[in-house]
Amino acid sequence: MTARATGSNNTAYHGHHKKPLLSIRELRKFYPIRGGIFSRKLADVKAVHDVSLDIMRGETLGLVGESGCGKSTLGRTLMRLEEPTAGKVFFEGNDLANARGRELFALRREVQMIFQDPYSSLNPRMTVGEIVREPLDIHKIGTPAERREKVSQLFDAVGLKPEVRDRYPHEFSGGQRQRVGVARALALGPKLIIADEPLSALDVSVQAQVINLMVRLQRKLHLTYLFISHDLSVVEYISDRIAIMYLGRIVEEGLKETIFSRPMHPYTQALTAAAPIADPRARRDRVPVQGETPSPINPPAGCAFHPRCPFAAPICSQTVPALQPTNTPGDPGHRAACARMHEGLWG
Amino acid sequence: MKLFKLNPITQKRLQRFRRIKRGWHSFLILAVLVFLSLFSNYLANHRAIVVYYQGNFYFPTYRFVEAGTFGQVDKWGFDDVETDYAALKEQFKQEGKGNWVLLPPIHFDPYESDFTYATAPPNAPDSRHWLGTDSQGRDVLARLLYGFRISILFALGLVLVTQTTGTIIGSLQGFLGGRFDILSQRFIEIWSALPFLYVVVLIGSLPYIKRGFFTLICIYALFNWITITYYMRTEMYREKTKEYCLAARSFGASRRRLIFKHLLPNCLTPLVTYTPFMIVSAIFALTALDYLGYGLPAPTPSWGEMIDQALQADNRDKLWLVLSPFGAISITLVLVTLIGESIREAFDPKQYARYR
Repeated sequence: MTARATGSNNTAYHGHHKKPLLSIRELRKFYPIRGGIFSRKLADVKAVHDVSLDIMRGETLGLVGESGCGKSTLGRTLMRLEEPTAGKVFFEGNDLANARGRELFALRREVQMIFQDPYSSLNPRMTVGEIVREPLDIHKIGTPAERREKVSQLFDAVGLKPEVRDRYPHEFSGGQRQRVGVARALALGPKLIIADEPLSALDVSVQAQVINLMVRLQRKLHLTYLFISHDLSVVEYISDRIAIMYLGRIVEEGLKETIFSRPMHPYTQALTAAAPIADPRARRDRVPVQGETPSPINPPAGCAFHPRCPFAAPICSQTVPALQPTNTPGDPGHRAACARMHEGLWG
Repeated sequence: MKLFKLNPITQKRLQRFRRIKRGWHSFLILAVLVFLSLFSNYLANHRAIVVYYQGNFYFPTYRFVEAGTFGQVDKWGFDDVETDYAALKEQFKQEGKGNWVLLPPIHFDPYESDFTYATAPPNAPDSRHWLGTDSQGRDVLARLLYGFRISILFALGLVLVTQTTGTIIGSLQGFLGGRFDILSQRFIEIWSALPFLYVVVLIGSLPYIKRGFFTLICIYALFNWITITYYMRTEMYREKTKEYCLAARSFGASRRRLIFKHLLPNCLTPLVTYTPFMIVSAIFALTALDYLGYGLPAPTPSWGEMIDQALQADNRDKLWLVLSPFGAISITLVLVTLIGESIREAFDPKQYARYR
């Protein structure tokens, strides 16, 4: 029930009559590599390459990809922790990617982030109470007494006793710290939460607690999640929809069920096939993926996946395939970027 | 600003510092010495601390009291001259009228020449001058004491100035990065390549600059602020990429808040651990400069000047002249170094950092 609790929104999505909460359009984040005496730009690290995505109100979008594919950079660019090179990000009609000053400051209340490492994401020199209160201080919300009360509520909401507010982060376990991180992200009452691998630094048993907490909070507070992870089983559990990223580009997006049962991109196919199944007798046909991830500085021409793709054809190295509707029955939002996806070579 | 609030980590470090006996005891000894040296005026002075005369109290260390006040005249019969308090004490004792004089333990000040000996100064230690006199008949112990005060105050003042400027500049380099960092780093490289001693000599010989305590601190500070910038710069570079800093930025924390509330409190370790060693080098540098004659102007009691005297050709057999300043310097530097090492041990970042 947990993961599907938000499923009702999918109907809205299918019907296309609900506006997305966040619309990413052609977002690009390149890191210049400079060298020489005059710091000429030699090349770019194309961390996020023209990404377009919609996140619907109330849903959880899982963003999956191997390490270095740009998924964390995408999250940080959305948070404006990195300045986007180009593109637009609409949050309820406001361009988050190009907002400045007061406008950006106001938008920051709506979008918050849960960080990966609960050990470094909390300032060791502040008490957890101060940490959770800080967003309220910065946005000057309420009187000191009201802030105190709000912090107590937040601690309560994430399953921590409010009495621990005067303790320091090092006195907590990893799971408790991540709860503090969640409480801090909730402090300003955001609508969208970007969770950047929030579980990968935690023990498996603790992962389950934190993920259930996130699902519970989503239902209670009507939150929308962008859930960034490399762990397919976690993403399968929490997401409504999944987007697959490879070398800075989205290669496929669709409903969770579609991604797992009818992947249209060979990379998705390989990823889902590589995910472990909790049944030792289960056997699957695996599509082998050869080689290593190419450099994002000089991505291969055409489809970035073609050097590793078992189905690569000459066309794959010539044109960059666009993200196109796959016409999957029951999932009109299913899109994939593969030139040969309709040839029925896999799946 | 809660920059110096004691959080449990700091408390633990302090506890650990106290448990390292050699450092903690050195700290106590040095603290007592520094505290005492602040009262050098009462420890070594040719004037009495208190005189009780005919029902009145006099405090001559604060205000000049002429000899006539106590019915004393000098050998030419003048009564408006400096009182000879040692003689006054003898006199009161003989009279037995209830008047008394409280003399400092060393009743010579560091500028006063004592020519009462039959031989020419320097004179060997005796009950009158516990560490003897120097070649101008001045009490070595008194000069040692005042020299200690000047050295320590110089070192503390210099460290305060350099660590403050160095921290500000280094932090800005690390925090702002980019062009500011590159340009200032190149400037620092050029600046640190200047031969320090030549510049000091050069500045010292400029006509409009009066050599003195504060001039010297300024000149030294011009060159000494650099070291700490390296450490603060790297600390800032490291800390600002940590997720707690990103988190603060993600809800729109101002730069000021980031620096003062998040970054600086987490970057203070090198500052604290390097300060004792900066003090050592400052004391050493002042002594060296005084020895060369480019330090504090002449009659100022200073260790470097004392060493210079001790090493003159006709003083080489006067052991008290050599041993006193060298002993004082060695003891002070050993104490500060022990403190510094213990602080470094107590602050060992490996104890709290988590490399994951």
